[in-house]
Amino acid sequence: MYVGRVSMDKNGMCNNHGNLFIGSSEDLKVVVEFLQRELGSAKLFGYRHHNGRIAFSEINNINEIFVALTDIQKPGYYRASSGYRFRHSFSSPKVFLLPPEYVILTVSRDYDILESSSSFQELTAIFFGIKPCDRKAIDILDRILYGRSPVYTTRRNAVRAIVVEECLEPGETCFCSTVNAGPTISSGFDIAYARLYGDLLVFRYGSSLGEKILGKVGLQRAQESHVKMYLEMVNRAISMMRGRIPNISEIQKALMEKVSAKPFWEEISSKCVGCGNCNYVCPTCFCTEIEDRVENGFSTRVGVWLGCLTYTYGLVAGGHFRQELYTRYRHFILHKFLFYPKQVGDIGCVGCGRCITWCPLGIDLRETLSRIAEVKSQ
Amino acid sequence: MSMGIQRAIHMNNPFTFRKAIIVNKVEETPNTHTYTLKCDGGLKALPGQFNMLYVYGLGEAPISLSNIPIFRGGHTLLEHTVRVMGAVTRAIISRLEIGSLIGIRGAYGNGWPLRDAEGKDVAIVGGGIGIAPLRPIIKYIEHCREKFGRINILFGAKSPRDMPYKYELNNYNTISNTKLLLSSDTPAEEWTHYTGFVTDLIEYIDVNVKNSVAFVCGPEAMMRVAVKKLLNKGFKKEYVYISLERRMRCGIGVCGTCQFGHYFVCRDGPVFRYSDVEDYLWVEGI
Repeated sequence: MYVGRVSMDKNGMCNNHGNLFIGSSEDLKVVVEFLQRELGSAKLFGYRHHNGRIAFSEINNINEIFVALTDIQKPGYYRASSGYRFRHSFSSPKVFLLPPEYVILTVSRDYDILESSSSFQELTAIFFGIKPCDRKAIDILDRILYGRSPVYTTRRNAVRAIVVEECLEPGETCFCSTVNAGPTISSGFDIAYARLYGDLLVFRYGSSLGEKILGKVGLQRAQESHVKMYLEMVNRAISMMRGRIPNISEIQKALMEKVSAKPFWEEISSKCVGCGNCNYVCPTCFCTEIEDRVENGFSTRVGVWLGCLTYTYGLVAGGHFRQELYTRYRHFILHKFLFYPKQVGDIGCVGCGRCITWCPLGIDLRETLSRIAEVKSQ
Repeated sequence: MSMGIQRAIHMNNPFTFRKAIIVNKVEETPNTHTYTLKCDGGLKALPGQFNMLYVYGLGEAPISLSNIPIFRGGHTLLEHTVRVMGAVTRAIISRLEIGSLIGIRGAYGNGWPLRDAEGKDVAIVGGGIGIAPLRPIIKYIEHCREKFGRINILFGAKSPRDMPYKYELNNYNTISNTKLLLSSDTPAEEWTHYTGFVTDLIEYIDVNVKNSVAFVCGPEAMMRVAVKKLLNKGFKKEYVYISLERRMRCGIGVCGTCQFGHYFVCRDGPVFRYSDVEDYLWVEGI
């Protein structure tokens, strides 16, 4: 069983293809069912197409796993369509691990604590169909929140198995390979699969639990031709994303030079409206506000997401440390590329492209990064 | 990725606060009170650390210790000086009296590095409510005076009326080998001390700057000026410490809202060595 928190390797590419198997979408369902049974009726969490939304949530029935769905993503644009190249949606596994809203405490008028959040203690969960980029995002969140944030820690402990879907065709806003977060995965999962085409999937195990399950299901070993096709598609996906952002060390060097270049940041953030969508869809953004909600003589202290692009971020009683929008936009960029490395030892961007897709103005992070790297310090 | 047992973390909810009762209140100024809180059991807090004070239904505010806690008879007595700044502090000042309850959790943050200051001269520079977190340093030094060299205390406020701890400031002059300099930003009758900014007093510091530590707290703009002047005066940037304020909601480095550069002010600070933050301190809104 995969439980540890591991750091991602360079490109998630697996060197040993001896453990590749092939199967169909039906086989995938069987794999998941076996895995659930193995873990004592674990609950399944993954992407679910419901009421026109594709959200990361509990999958109650194995037949809710969609097989014929593609997303079309562009700056400020998202559509679901038929096909089998689904990448992700606005929601990421973060919504399970650090929900948009959660109760921290319930307090009486006499300052007695009536309830302390620990309701996830009993849950056993399987993450299904999460992407390599989002798997890496979990590693990053682990290093900030695990063992510190009670809600994150209990929910993270509930995740007993991880099934990853690798991407063989990146979306238009994706750039995972340029930040070493995909499109394939080499560690930190139990089972990984990828759709070669139509109903032909390749499977891999990444833990002894995964090995056991794939063995039980009795999948066929992949043939040389399958392996070749898989690797070709992986390489093609990587080459499609190549150059979508500048080299990370160039970005970092330029950022250090430009930290104080106010006119540059004002200009580059001029389209931003400070809505915070980028923060909420980002799988590594974790900033939280705590609110008191008073009802029936009790106050419930609730944790809610707080985006650094929104006006509230940096606001304090008697002042504001980030009143101007450019400082908040800059913080988003600096945090991901300069500060995360100092906080967790890796950049905080996994190249999922959600902040680009879900920006109502279509502001493209990749363009911002290119401009940062190209313009000389002002 | 090992087979491993599920990591069993018996995690108490760190957001759980303790009930405290207000046992004393001193009106420093109309909008600034010093409260003595009493809570059951021990609560360790170092000079420069802070507690999250909770007011029912409103929320928490990070407030520095303004004295060294006393543990007596199974209780801890803690002092916090609170100035009206926002909703929580306004509720504290306007509503809470002796006998009132309040929630408290902490202590958080790193505190002033008093051990590193031993054997050295000490300059203490405080502006306005920023004086509160500096006061425990003076109390600490008084306790073990022989461990420190010459002391200079520079306190300033907007007006004499806004100066906290007026009733005890003169006692600081009686601590051996100590100089106290006070300032008021605005002129006032009967004010016998300096009129002007507290940072102007830095030029009158008479400690041996080559072997001194400076502790600074006040509004950020004041601290920037203070840092510049202290460095000009010859203080080493590794020995100039400032205590920063940011939006803080958790105190334990998980809410992310107190970030200052790559630091979490609540956990990595609030006290920073100037040389560790010199890349950030001069950048607006970082």
